[in-house]
Amino acid sequence: MSSFEQFHIDFYQSNYTIEDQEEGCNSYGSDKNLCESRKRQAEEQPAGGAFVPSDMLLSPQSYSGSILQPACSPGAPSQLGYVDGFDEEPPLLEELGINFEHIWQKTLTVLNPMKPADGSIMNETDLTGPMVFCLALGATLLMAGKVHFGYVYGMSAIGCLAMHALLNLMSVSGVSHGCVASVLGYCLLPMVILSSAAVLFSLQGTPGTVLALFIIGWCSLSASKIFTSALAMEGQQLLIAYPCALLYGLFALLTVF
Amino acid sequence: EFLGMKGLRGQLGRQVADQMWQVGKRQASRAFSLYANIDILRPYFDVEPVQVRARLLESMIPVKMINFPQKIAGELYGPLMLVFTLVAILLHGMKTSDTIIREGTLMGTAIGTCFGYWLGVSSFMYFLAYLCNAQITMVQMLSLLGYGLFGHCITLFVTYNIHFHSLFYIFWLVIGGLSTLRMVAVLVSRTVGHTQRLILCGTLAALHMLFLLYLHFAYHKVVEGILDTLEGPNMPPFQRVARDIPVVSNAVLNTTAKAIALTL
Repeated sequence: MSSFEQFHIDFYQSNYTIEDQEEGCNSYGSDKNLCESRKRQAEEQPAGGAFVPSDMLLSPQSYSGSILQPACSPGAPSQLGYVDGFDEEPPLLEELGINFEHIWQKTLTVLNPMKPADGSIMNETDLTGPMVFCLALGATLLMAGKVHFGYVYGMSAIGCLAMHALLNLMSVSGVSHGCVASVLGYCLLPMVILSSAAVLFSLQGTPGTVLALFIIGWCSLSASKIFTSALAMEGQQLLIAYPCALLYGLFALLTVF
Repeated sequence: EFLGMKGLRGQLGRQVADQMWQVGKRQASRAFSLYANIDILRPYFDVEPVQVRARLLESMIPVKMINFPQKIAGELYGPLMLVFTLVAILLHGMKTSDTIIREGTLMGTAIGTCFGYWLGVSSFMYFLAYLCNAQITMVQMLSLLGYGLFGHCITLFVTYNIHFHSLFYIFWLVIGGLSTLRMVAVLVSRTVGHTQRLILCGTLAALHMLFLLYLHFAYHKVVEGILDTLEGPNMPPFQRVARDIPVVSNAVLNTTAKAIALTL
């Protein structure tokens, strides 16, 4: 049975099953073609089969005729080897895994660090939002006259690796690279606000320093809140917030100077 | 076909290459899981925020009882965070004073200096402790030296922003001295014999205090301007080094001034 499923993945799916063939077809004298065609028409979903006649490759969904005649079902796709027709393909965004509703929910969670976070929001690794925020940070830095795209990407990569190592050491259950990258990327959003403020006025001064410290605190509070709720590490939020604050402090140094 | 060999030789060659790749990959993954297993560091990161705060404050208080071996917490979270904080303070100091590093990057220099000090001096002190028969393990030495950097962090954070020269020397003696005394007292309590105690504690005190001096003077260029203006009773508290005006504009300025003086 399991080998049929293996073929199911690698092979082209057909409506032909060996079990149905053995169950229903009692008499060896009866027409083999009639037996097969009756089984196939009764089946709703395609199942894996060990034996695929070459003629059946042309008709994916339904088999109307007998095996000896070339199949000419109307809904057959022109390409060989595809399961769904063109109309039944999932939408592009769904295939890419981009879910705008989830992205918006996570952004709202980051923007409000005082609201308790749901631990399950980080179950799926979503790197679209973080990519957009990194690009936004680079773009706002560009508007202030600093071309620092390389620094942003390099610091995020090294910061993700370091945080991943630290969180794996400090938590009971491990954490994956994608989850850490996703959380750290989402919490970069307030830094984008800081760098857009840097476009309007220089941050090298007391108000700029105060604003930078406030934004660093906001970022690290959000990140530590999401990490502690996702990894069930209550009581250690400050211990997680401090390394996040150091990482976001580096981004703030990049923005201010 | 495989690498120019056709037919049976090609097939054979491909199979042999595949097998070698599988064997090599298996051996590499086994070696990796054996040596790069960071789970062996897991017990050293099991701390509560209250414990970290208590240890930070304790690192500035020298112990009085040196006849009984003092307890050292074998923990690596606090020291690691303190080293990273020192890196951040150094970076901030270098950025505010527009320090230019000619060979290398600011980040690389800061990380190299701080981690080099923490790991290098810890290893050297562990080696000396082994020679002088002191009862201390490597993790304890790392932890002790790491927590000793707390005084460095405070001193540099204050003196990189407030540029009183004498203030730095006061901080160096008081805060640097307190954290050095704490480390020295702990080491003395774990060593037997006068010569051994002297060697260990003298080396540690010298390295620790000299490191703070080095960090202050090497990474904050503005201090050099102050050293030049130390004479005179009415000196301003803070002065930046003047920028060099290029020769061309100097000549232009002089000729312009002379022309204006002639016309007036």
